[in-house]
Amino acid sequence: MAAAKQLPGPQDLSDDEREALEALLFSLADDEFVIAERYTEWQVRAPTIESDISVANIAQDELGHARLYYDLLEDFGYEEPDLIWERDASEWRHSTLCELPFDEGDWADYVVRSFLFDEAEYIRLQALEGSSYPRLADRIEKILAEETYHREHARSWLERLCEDDESRARMQDAVDRLMPHALTLFAPTDEDIEARIDDLGIRTENLLTMREEWLDEVVPRLESVGLHVEEAQLPEQYDVHHADFDLPDELGRDQSHTDAWFDLYDEFTKSYRELGRHEAAKIMKDPDDE
Amino acid sequence: MQSIGGPIGKWLLTIVYGREMDIETVKERAGPREFSAKDDMPEEYRKAATRMIQFHANSEIMGAYLERPFIRQAPSLERKLAFSAKTQDELGHGQLLYRAAESLGIKTRDEMLDELANGEGKFLNCFHYPMESWVETPMIAFFVDGAAMRRQATLKNTSWEPYAHAMDKVCFEEGFHVKHGEAILHELMTGSKKEQEMTQEAFEKWWPRIIQFFGPTDKQSTHHGFASEVGLKQMSNDELRRAFLNSYVPKAEKYGLEIPDTPRITKNDDGTYEVNEDDLDWDEFFQIAKNEYEPGVGQIDGRKKAQEAVAWVRESMDKHEQGIYGGGESPQAAD
Repeated sequence: MAAAKQLPGPQDLSDDEREALEALLFSLADDEFVIAERYTEWQVRAPTIESDISVANIAQDELGHARLYYDLLEDFGYEEPDLIWERDASEWRHSTLCELPFDEGDWADYVVRSFLFDEAEYIRLQALEGSSYPRLADRIEKILAEETYHREHARSWLERLCEDDESRARMQDAVDRLMPHALTLFAPTDEDIEARIDDLGIRTENLLTMREEWLDEVVPRLESVGLHVEEAQLPEQYDVHHADFDLPDELGRDQSHTDAWFDLYDEFTKSYRELGRHEAAKIMKDPDDE
Repeated sequence: MQSIGGPIGKWLLTIVYGREMDIETVKERAGPREFSAKDDMPEEYRKAATRMIQFHANSEIMGAYLERPFIRQAPSLERKLAFSAKTQDELGHGQLLYRAAESLGIKTRDEMLDELANGEGKFLNCFHYPMESWVETPMIAFFVDGAAMRRQATLKNTSWEPYAHAMDKVCFEEGFHVKHGEAILHELMTGSKKEQEMTQEAFEKWWPRIIQFFGPTDKQSTHHGFASEVGLKQMSNDELRRAFLNSYVPKAEKYGLEIPDTPRITKNDDGTYEVNEDDLDWDEFFQIAKNEYEPGVGQIDGRKKAQEAVAWVRESMDKHEQGIYGGGESPQAAD
């Protein structure tokens, strides 16, 4: 796979190549956009002014990454309204981990969600660093640098909130609720298209391998702070330990979503609809000129 | 006495007096950035400065609380990013200002945040009114922030140095916020007819509140005299309001907004503007000033509820820090 030949620029791709790239880019962009939407919900509601500022930072990083991925989709002739504001809610491809709502004050949800997401993100980005699509590979380095900070932030919160019994119990609830949805980060958009993404070398690791790697990272880490992961049989059976995980009914990647997603979509498109907009204002430099 | 300046002067004063500075000395010396934690300020000064800075810090937090729904509702990805960043900046200003207020030794940050939560903490009138629609966002981000810039620019010369120092950073960032607000206003006023009408309607609702931003006329203001005498306050309410009108009436008109008939505003021969203050609802203003205006109470309580919901995290962090530092003061706040 490592020897896959470089793909041409956006205008010269075959239909199959473009279809594979679009599926991947929508998964990446939608994940970042939607999880940021949930993170910003913490702004002016986080436990301290300091944590408020941090969560805002991270949300903006994720929105910035979404912007970079959507911009690559614009190469194919789409505009922002096609990609976000007027795209039907049932066409989005983010993992359901990103869209789930949380109870007021459930900071454990934020910590566990960002921990599970950032560890996956890190693995996924490493598999894109050597992508055969140069437009994508070029943008990964900047994104990876920011994700390294996110991972440290999430890990340190994870450890801190597992020190006392009361907050560890809240963390356990969050793990129980979020873990099945986090597995959908590695669910296929479509089996054939995922195979094509790998064959074309757009990604250098397939979903199953990345999921293994992610489980090997997150499960021991969760267990080391006294959290229990349902059905994870560690450490002896590393090669089969994921086999029994139950996935939720809605996977996200295949465009099936929980009800909460449709409510969230209505909220974030509210002004756009109310104003009767047909275009979305760009106020920053084009990512290619940055 | 005024000729004694700098560290040696301060040291000499300590030798001479050996105790807190008396009010007359404060008034004589009062100048830009004149006093800092090195000076033993009288309680009256420290209380007046705390009241002012705490009000300012609270306003940053409550302004951010008011605007936060529009991070979600922003109609473009880049506007969403900008709104998130603006809200974050405001929390940062709150953090900085609470620190400047703490340096006066009257209240801790936790005490001030508790006061804000339980309805004792005062903050700007405009942030007591909820916002419902995107077209209202430039009313805050352009007009109110523009008004705030006016006042804050003069506070770079306030006599409490930590406050003036905080203003350097705050003013720098507020400059971007006003530009962000202005761009949104421009976009709305060059948009569809519907957008223009909605924006005009929002402007009419907010305009009187924005004029009241600068508080009551000088003759009605209770705290003005002392705060000016000791150099905390640099310009009077009336002067600031007039300066704001002179610059923002033409700006509003430039973007195609019509200035509402009330309050009546007259143009003087020299081109400056004057507002007929009797046309403004001062009963509502003073009700707001007491934190008794119903929608504002909703804002305060909403924030309080959100803060109480995460109290468990703060408690857990306290336990963590006590574990590490053996119960002493922790050297750094967790983020």
